[in-house]
Amino acid sequence: MGSQKRIAKELAELVESPPAGISVELVDESNLYEWKVHMEGPEGSPYQGGDFILKLSLPTEYPFKPPTVSFATKIYHPNVTNDEKGSMCLGMLRADEWKPSSKINAVLQFARQLLAEPMPDDAIEGRIAEQYRNDRVRYDEVAREWTRKHAIPK
Amino acid sequence: MLILPQFPDASELLNHPRLYAMSLSKPWSHFGPHHPFPEKQNYYRDPFPPSLLPPLGFSISAAFAPDPTMSNANMNALPLDEMERFQKLSNEFEPDVQGPLVSTKQSSHSIAMDYANADPTLATKTSALAITHPMTRIMKGDGNCGWRAVTFGYFETLYALRDPMRVQREMSRIESLNTLLVQVGLDPTLYEIFVDATEDAFAQTLAAIQNGEQDETYLVNAFNDEFNSNSIITHFRLLTSTWMKLNPQQYQAFLSGPLDEYCAKHIDPLKTEIDQVGLQALLDGIIQGSGFGVEILYLDRSEGDAVTPHQLVSGSTPNGPTIRLLYRPGHYDLLYRAEQTVNMAPMVNLQYGMTSNYTPWDQGALSFDVNSSLMSIPNLMADPGSGFGMPMSPIPSVPQTPASPFRISTPQDMYQSPIQNHVPVPVSSPPPVMPSAPPPMTTLPNRSDGPQIRLNPLVMKPNLSHSLPVTTPFKK
Repeated sequence: MGSQKRIAKELAELVESPPAGISVELVDESNLYEWKVHMEGPEGSPYQGGDFILKLSLPTEYPFKPPTVSFATKIYHPNVTNDEKGSMCLGMLRADEWKPSSKINAVLQFARQLLAEPMPDDAIEGRIAEQYRNDRVRYDEVAREWTRKHAIPK
Repeated sequence: MLILPQFPDASELLNHPRLYAMSLSKPWSHFGPHHPFPEKQNYYRDPFPPSLLPPLGFSISAAFAPDPTMSNANMNALPLDEMERFQKLSNEFEPDVQGPLVSTKQSSHSIAMDYANADPTLATKTSALAITHPMTRIMKGDGNCGWRAVTFGYFETLYALRDPMRVQREMSRIESLNTLLVQVGLDPTLYEIFVDATEDAFAQTLAAIQNGEQDETYLVNAFNDEFNSNSIITHFRLLTSTWMKLNPQQYQAFLSGPLDEYCAKHIDPLKTEIDQVGLQALLDGIIQGSGFGVEILYLDRSEGDAVTPHQLVSGSTPNGPTIRLLYRPGHYDLLYRAEQTVNMAPMVNLQYGMTSNYTPWDQGALSFDVNSSLMSIPNLMADPGSGFGMPMSPIPSVPQTPASPFRISTPQDMYQSPIQNHVPVPVSSPPPVMPSAPPPMTTLPNRSDGPQIRLNPLVMKPNLSHSLPVTTPFKK
């Protein structure tokens, strides 16, 4: 099947030459569609030092439908739901903006870039977005606190 | 043998309400970045009766409130938050479309039935259509119907010729286009499964011909496998956006934003319906090289008793194989004429001559401006010897004249040049077969420094004479 062929290639490429601060593995070696991603909090962001675990799920229709990306590690961020799901859906991950010629690699880099630069105008957590805009100091504090609490191994 | 222009002239187009309206409506310019009406709206099937077809342009009204009195003007008067709400609804609109991705061939009486109680013009036209084009093939309205109609029609037409050599040639031609995908920065890992699907379709077509299969059932099945169908369509979408990026001068003038952005939003994502610019690029870049003609029949409420065919691409041979599209606002299907003369045996030699002349896309090859009639002639694109664009040196082009069957349609035949100093190119005795391949187009000098606008008759502006420098390239 075409989707497996492509996923296998993308996975191999990501394992072989992973982008900065990102590493991927399969949750279960026999299932190409569920990935576990480790993401280092970008330098200079309040997430620095954190090791965030993300879940990347590929639909069977991949690459005709976008992957879904969610944070398994709790994170304080305007674009990630502040709940158990930790889901994010914006930009290239939206079904109507997704292009079959987009790469998982690009998706992951996009997600990491979002940690460095949140997109408050496209926020899913309006309150955090507002704080990010109006009280950056406090936002940084809370985000750093959450990173310490949830993303830094003790 | 003269290939006469079959495209209506500009004034005729401008009197044609639907075409005129389409030229004005760029849906994305009215409604923001998202394509609000992927052809998801099946006007002609269930949700709303065809009598609600908006008389002009793209009307948002039919999509949300089946209220024919609600006009574009009213929509524009809505408060911004209402517009945003509509936009959101529109973006999220996923109609429950039924049926196969590509139907079997069926009687076009079914179309007439749909309109029997509708607007009298539409009823008359569809009845007439059922006689001139007795068969149709319905495409599922899932946002890909235009792409699927052209792509399926291409393979079906190829199969109908029952010429294994032709299939091989087409396969090589499309393969050669793939090299350009890398040129625009695409990674082969990303597109190879799409290319594979297209190559499978060629291989199946070849096998079907060699095994003497009765009909195109194999192709209908291949296109009804959603993953496979999407793969082929995505391949053709990628080739189309690549073609546009390599030939921006032909399309940029018709776009409201940057070309790259247009491709990213309207060509590359799956389920974004093809619009006029995209259709033209698909035909220019991918279909035209096959030598197949492409005709479109607009079903609308304009004056007249019949749906008039418009030639989007003239085939390499008159009455040669032609893909026929039926367009109803927001939806494309395929049509089949009463006499299906697809036996191309006597033309084979011409085709050989034509395709050996083929060179993959070349950015410089089209750097001249043409008028609407000329634009509909594919020959001019692939014609390296044309004096067109270098009017001061028509003589060197003459030796090549008999070499290509295209040469027969000279610009002078097609276009009343305001400047009469062209040397007429002899058309009297062109042998039909090319003795040898002409030099590849890539060796041509850069011929034009005139405006790089290519006039698409379907998207042209109403005030043609003021907006398009039809004559400038001939001045020199």
